[in-house]
Amino acid sequence: MSGDDDGLRGALDRAAAYMLDATVLERIGIAIASTALALCIGLLIVAAAGHNPLLFANQLVIGSFGSERAVARTLTFSVLFVLAGIAVAIAFRAGVFNIGVQGQFIVGGFATVASIVSLAPYLPDGTVGGIVLMLVGTLAAVVAGGLYAALPGVLKAYGDANEIITTIMLNFIAIGFVGWLVAGRFSDPEATATRTERLPDNVGFPSVVFDDPNLSIVGIGATIAVVALIAVIMTRTSFGYDMVTSGHQESAATYSGVDAKRMIVSTMTLSGMVAGLTGAIFAIMIQGYFTDPSGIGNYGFDAIAVSLLAANNPVGVVPAGLLFGGLESAGSHIQINSDVPVQLIDGIVGLVVLFVAVPELFRMMAQRTGLGGDRE
Amino acid sequence: MSLTEYTGRKRVRIGALALVVLIVGGAGLTVRSGIALDRLFTAGFATRSVEMATPIALAAIGGLYAEKSGVFNIGLEGFMIFGAFSAAASMYALGGTSPTQGQVWLAVAVSAVISTLITVAFAVLLIRYEADQIVAGLAVWFIGLGFAPFTAAIIWGSRSSPGLASVNSVAFGQSPFVILTVLIVLASWVVLYRTRYGYWVQAAGENPEALDTAGVDVTRVRYATVIFSGAMAGLGGAVLLAHAGNFVGIGDTMVEGRGWIGIVAYLFGNYNPIGAAGAALLFGALDMLNVQFQTVGIEVSARLVNLLPYVAVIIVLSAWGKTRMPSSVGESYESED
Repeated sequence: MSGDDDGLRGALDRAAAYMLDATVLERIGIAIASTALALCIGLLIVAAAGHNPLLFANQLVIGSFGSERAVARTLTFSVLFVLAGIAVAIAFRAGVFNIGVQGQFIVGGFATVASIVSLAPYLPDGTVGGIVLMLVGTLAAVVAGGLYAALPGVLKAYGDANEIITTIMLNFIAIGFVGWLVAGRFSDPEATATRTERLPDNVGFPSVVFDDPNLSIVGIGATIAVVALIAVIMTRTSFGYDMVTSGHQESAATYSGVDAKRMIVSTMTLSGMVAGLTGAIFAIMIQGYFTDPSGIGNYGFDAIAVSLLAANNPVGVVPAGLLFGGLESAGSHIQINSDVPVQLIDGIVGLVVLFVAVPELFRMMAQRTGLGGDRE
Repeated sequence: MSLTEYTGRKRVRIGALALVVLIVGGAGLTVRSGIALDRLFTAGFATRSVEMATPIALAAIGGLYAEKSGVFNIGLEGFMIFGAFSAAASMYALGGTSPTQGQVWLAVAVSAVISTLITVAFAVLLIRYEADQIVAGLAVWFIGLGFAPFTAAIIWGSRSSPGLASVNSVAFGQSPFVILTVLIVLASWVVLYRTRYGYWVQAAGENPEALDTAGVDVTRVRYATVIFSGAMAGLGGAVLLAHAGNFVGIGDTMVEGRGWIGIVAYLFGNYNPIGAAGAALLFGALDMLNVQFQTVGIEVSARLVNLLPYVAVIIVLSAWGKTRMPSSVGESYESED
């Protein structure tokens, strides 16, 4: 089911086309080279800013894998990056540029907290009540995220509105609107910071393997299940096949009876559902309440880099997500233990995305140096 | 009239109708709540709206040229961040926290040069190395979102700058950059539609083969427009900073989506520089409505009113989405010889 090279209808198709052209080995090579080059530039910048790059590199490693706490933190962030990366990959694989995963993640996470907090008084306190609340909260997140992504899908399919721009606008709207709700109707009057009420005590995943309260085997299990499910949907079902073909060969898909417009909406909805689920896990497993979304990490944005590094392959998202989990975890370590501003990590992520966009650069470099002669 | 054309026109009408309903409805509500419209739409509001529209208009003009020539520069937002930050940094380098007016102007000029240099590198990746235009453009945004606050933190110890200086207004309380922008808008209209070079730009996007056959180097035209687009977006960011007087690097930085709105402005203006500037004015006014509501005493959350430009963008895109895009946008061109 690899796409042919023809049928490039402009820039939107181009991204996916080269991904499908490239061999698996080449993709992995490009991903590693992009990351390595971005990290090297990051270290050069650290040196230029007057800090010791070797010390910084050392702190990156310690902060991501140096202790049990660091590993637990890395895995916690990885859960978010893998799930959000899957959300991005679903859309990108189908040729739909959902840049709005961040917004869908926020809306989903907030829906979880809002539904659990509102329902909690009517349910028993015990474990059963907690499980019911978590199921309802997760469902609310999946529905909210799906709907919030379906909207730009409908606008693209039936209104020709460029989804890149509408989803970015919806990110801003999600941040503003949820922020307004968190500060207003849903704010906790007893809290000093702007946040919602805490989730009740019976809501929360058990931490079995690690002591870290923010990491639960349930979160890891759910992530693996979603990866497997989406991988199966994309490669083994007719829905997945139609999704990918309608993204890259619209005419061929239409000819075989696929409604391309409905496919766009379905793709966006599925992508948003996974983004919403990411929000639910973030709210239940990590935060335990919901804060002002303008201060929440850019998981949905970095997920774009995760997905691109993985060539939009759901299984490839796992190692890419672990890498980003490690980077983010190192970021929290650096913030406390280093004078280098932590925003450097965001810049490095941007460089990774930039280099992934230019495979030609690496092909030429490989040719010059005589490496990777097995290309194409 | 073909069916698609018909539905296209109908959509435009529906969109226009939606906007009119929105405006009239809003006006009706304000009148009913006993607030005089003349207090809402003041001269100060007009001045502020124009001022807010200039950065958007500048970015839109740049993006329009790039897309006309067949390259989708989706990195406008990122270049605006570079522009705003480098203007703040050079203002601080020149005159500390109390720069003179001359230093403000110089900082804006330096910032435009820096943005241009960064765009040259971007253009090489895009054209020479055939980078994916969407992904590379997004990357520029991410790089700006990371490195601008990073460098700010190194210089000022915080992601935002201390108060610097904003540009003094000249005639009629208007910023000189507003006048500059008007001139740029008019000049870019003349160049695009009335000069040979403008036709080259259009041909590079519509029919690069024909332009090549006519002996004009398509690649060079595209280099020129992409570099121009980055320079304009950078200038837009610098102007935004010169109006605000300090750099804000938290969240989505002080640019806050204005580069993306710039893209919508030129789509809305159907790739016409004057139309794009008009659209920018609409978004600028929506952006400033918040201040008006506050002065008049309308009790609406500022946070919600601030979302109006984004909502308007979505309405506009859905109603006007089907603009006449140049046919070769996004395809890299390789000359046969």
